[in-house]
Amino acid sequence: MTKGIIFDIKELAVFDGPGIRTTVFLKGCPLRCRWCHNPEGLSAAPQLMVSLGSCTHCGRCDEICPSPEHCITCGKCVPVCPLHLRRIAGTPWTAQDLADRLLRDKEILGMSGGGVTFSGGEPTLQGTFLLEVLPLLRGMHRAIETCAYCDSALFTAILAELDYVIMDLKLADPAAHRQWTGVDNGLILKNLRILEDSGLPYRIRVPLIPGVTDTPENLNGIAALLDGSRHLEQVELLPYHRTAGAKYEMVSRVYDPRFDETVSPRGDLSPFAKRGIPASVL
Amino acid sequence: MTERIEKQLQFFVRDKKHHALRKAASDPYRYAGKYRAEGLSDLDRAAARLRDLLAEETPVVFPDERIAGLRTVPTVPEIFTPEEEAAVHAAHYIHEQGKVCNITPDYSLLLKGGFAPVREEIRTARERFAAAGDAEKVHYEDVLMEMLDTVSAFCRRYWDAAEAAGNRVVAESFARIPEQAPETFLQALQFLRIIHYCLWCCFHYHNTFGRFDQYMLPWYQADIAAGRLDNDTALELVEEFFLSLNRDSDLYPGMQQGDNGQSMVLGGFDAAGNEMFNDLSALCLEASLELRLIDPKINLRVSKKTPLERYISGTRLTRQGLGFPQYSNDDVVCKALRQWGYREEDLIDYSVAACWEFIIPGYGMDIPNIASLSFPACVRKALENPDSWQSADTLMDAVRAEIFLESEALRDSVHDLYMEPAPYLSLMMHDTIAQAKDVSLGNRYNNFGFHGSGLSTAVDSLAAIRKYVFETGEISREELMAALDDNFADEPLLQNKLRYEAPKFGNDDDTVDAIATRLLNDFADSLEGHRNERGGIYRAGTGSAMYYIWQAAQEKASPDGRSQGEAFAANYSPSLFTRLNGPLSIIKSFTKPDLSRVCNGGPLTIELSDSMFRNEESIVKTAQFVQAFILLGGHQLQINAVNRDELLDAKKHPENHRNLIVRVWGWSGYFVELDECYQDHIIKRMELTV
Repeated sequence: MTKGIIFDIKELAVFDGPGIRTTVFLKGCPLRCRWCHNPEGLSAAPQLMVSLGSCTHCGRCDEICPSPEHCITCGKCVPVCPLHLRRIAGTPWTAQDLADRLLRDKEILGMSGGGVTFSGGEPTLQGTFLLEVLPLLRGMHRAIETCAYCDSALFTAILAELDYVIMDLKLADPAAHRQWTGVDNGLILKNLRILEDSGLPYRIRVPLIPGVTDTPENLNGIAALLDGSRHLEQVELLPYHRTAGAKYEMVSRVYDPRFDETVSPRGDLSPFAKRGIPASVL
Repeated sequence: MTERIEKQLQFFVRDKKHHALRKAASDPYRYAGKYRAEGLSDLDRAAARLRDLLAEETPVVFPDERIAGLRTVPTVPEIFTPEEEAAVHAAHYIHEQGKVCNITPDYSLLLKGGFAPVREEIRTARERFAAAGDAEKVHYEDVLMEMLDTVSAFCRRYWDAAEAAGNRVVAESFARIPEQAPETFLQALQFLRIIHYCLWCCFHYHNTFGRFDQYMLPWYQADIAAGRLDNDTALELVEEFFLSLNRDSDLYPGMQQGDNGQSMVLGGFDAAGNEMFNDLSALCLEASLELRLIDPKINLRVSKKTPLERYISGTRLTRQGLGFPQYSNDDVVCKALRQWGYREEDLIDYSVAACWEFIIPGYGMDIPNIASLSFPACVRKALENPDSWQSADTLMDAVRAEIFLESEALRDSVHDLYMEPAPYLSLMMHDTIAQAKDVSLGNRYNNFGFHGSGLSTAVDSLAAIRKYVFETGEISREELMAALDDNFADEPLLQNKLRYEAPKFGNDDDTVDAIATRLLNDFADSLEGHRNERGGIYRAGTGSAMYYIWQAAQEKASPDGRSQGEAFAANYSPSLFTRLNGPLSIIKSFTKPDLSRVCNGGPLTIELSDSMFRNEESIVKTAQFVQAFILLGGHQLQINAVNRDELLDAKKHPENHRNLIVRVWGWSGYFVELDECYQDHIIKRMELTV
């Protein structure tokens, strides 16, 4: 059995699909969006997270560390921190254990027409694990929040086990997509067509990054890509918040957005409105 | 919001310009010496107090207001001199300040017909007692009549003030009230305002409003039917009334400013199971939402039959960050009251006392906050006895025994209860006139309620012992007790393990939750079958009031990793420093016990980020979450949209707010884990939340 690496399970998620949902965050992402607000979701491996804000530098963690040069995520420093500021992000779960955990709330989630959503990171990066756990959750409403950057055969197989999809579209232009996310969007757009053809209801989310994705050209380009979709429920524009960089220091990364964070993103809905696509700013 | 309301909001709430009309604070004992010299009985003193205070008051009518009433004398006089007070305290059990408080009057007894029919009732009763030669009861009826005269004379002065101010609207109201029944919704509101005002002037406190949407409905409906009001004008009137409750509220501090008991209960179900939420209830929610004022504090009665739209309206109000509405579940509360012997026709009329204790308007002289049992103290006593430690089960038995002992001690501590006579309030209680029995001596229901504080601390402590002492064996009794006595001074790792890694109540863990069920049942069992000196029963509850601080301050470190003196969770909630799976697990855990057995009052309190209320879709889902709690059998729920003050406190004392979650954007984080600049950012954003 494959083990999934999960960095959070969030109850009462209200923005991740129909009804009240539990969202499972799978670790690892093939993209490197400069605005990513979940840096602990980037690497596929478990990693140490330290909240430095209230650290008193008591030194207990240093005393116990067996590998000061290079963190081996042994977790020994976690329980010794008197302020409980350290944790390992990324816990291995078997599909069965995870399914048992989620099925426990099947009834209460079902009351609101909700269910479970797999997010990340990029959940399809752990596609094998997803294909193990999703069938165990049949009978629950199952959704995914994905950038759709994955092998199309795998994507198709995953869609077959889902009731709902939330898909990110960041940039319509391939070159810009490469520049800001590190990968080409060809595969993403191919999977978008697969998604549309699957007949599953879906929602498209566009992060509004000032000067990057919120430009008229980009929003127009994305709207054009979605023109004529039959199963698209709506488009949601997610304005960039300056809190995005909050967790970088916790995972020893440097937040380097390379766009002007101080500018408020523009949420122009007209490119969608004129094509009759329901859209809103979240 | 209309211009009139906006102006009043500015004048009374933001600028507090009416404070300029307040007289200086005065000696609370300014009349007591005179009363003693005149040899007045306590009953006569209570009557004299209202008369003397109202004589000091200056009626104030502003030119464009429609509901008048302003306190200008800040200090309500005591009826006993300090020496007499000390003697009374020495001879009796005194609850809080020794005044009748924290109950719900039946305002309709005065509102419905005005004073005239009440006077008739008093005369009839007086004749009966006179014929029987019962001088004491005759005198009591005379005092009741005097109370009506006093209030009536005061109203007459307000009428004059209205005429002098050229305020025709207020003058017209006082031309009818209080002697005659109000004819319009506005007159009824003015009447209620002045009746309630006089309650405060009698030194009653925690003066609740009860089921406003029910007892005020006839006038509202009549005005709507007659075309005198429409939805907008009615809303404006309700808002003006609500605003009037915020004029003097700073004079009514409870344990904290804002703890004034001006609570209001909306909705509910009648005997046939029909929903009683009506157009006026909806207006009250709307008024509260628009005004965003702390008074009145809104409670919403719901049940499994309540439609989702009701929860959606409530959630819109929660979004305002005031911490209400508080929900109570008729399915559980009515069942509890039935089990406790409340009459069927009464229990469907339940209301709440100042905070959350369930009480019957006009019949309940319950003292629902008379004492508080500390669960952690009971656990501690059990732990101190080595014989308790044979097994996890013997430990539970020992805790049960301690709960019984503590509950007996608390019951025994209340005897020879004395409360100052309350002849004015008695006019709003049933049977007081006919029986000439002051409400301070009791009414139909005379039950005593016990809070149960620190439940989650106790549960988590027992769960930790079960796991580490009895299952894994990694800690011995001696080691644990030594660490507790030492406040974990030499055992920081042990404390960390107990605080953060041990099983906790609120994680939907059946083993842990079963401990909570057991402790609550023990508490209920310990009170069952006992009668208090007034013939009432004892009700167990899940509230804590301020005891989660007071009782925690005296308590040593506990096996859940809590430090010495560290606060318990407030009311019925998970421990503050536990990091739980999430809100669904919390409501599942907290609905496992049979809450109808411990239904004195005390809500599950949950904090949700304001982002949960960001758009219509998420408001619906948050409403569904509340509904889920009710469907699972929860008794009472209070939700806080996380507010700035709490976040500021979390910045200063992160250790007390480990559980505070903020949804920052597409992700959630623990507030205390964010760097300061991000904390400040979120705090700033909270200021902008509408």
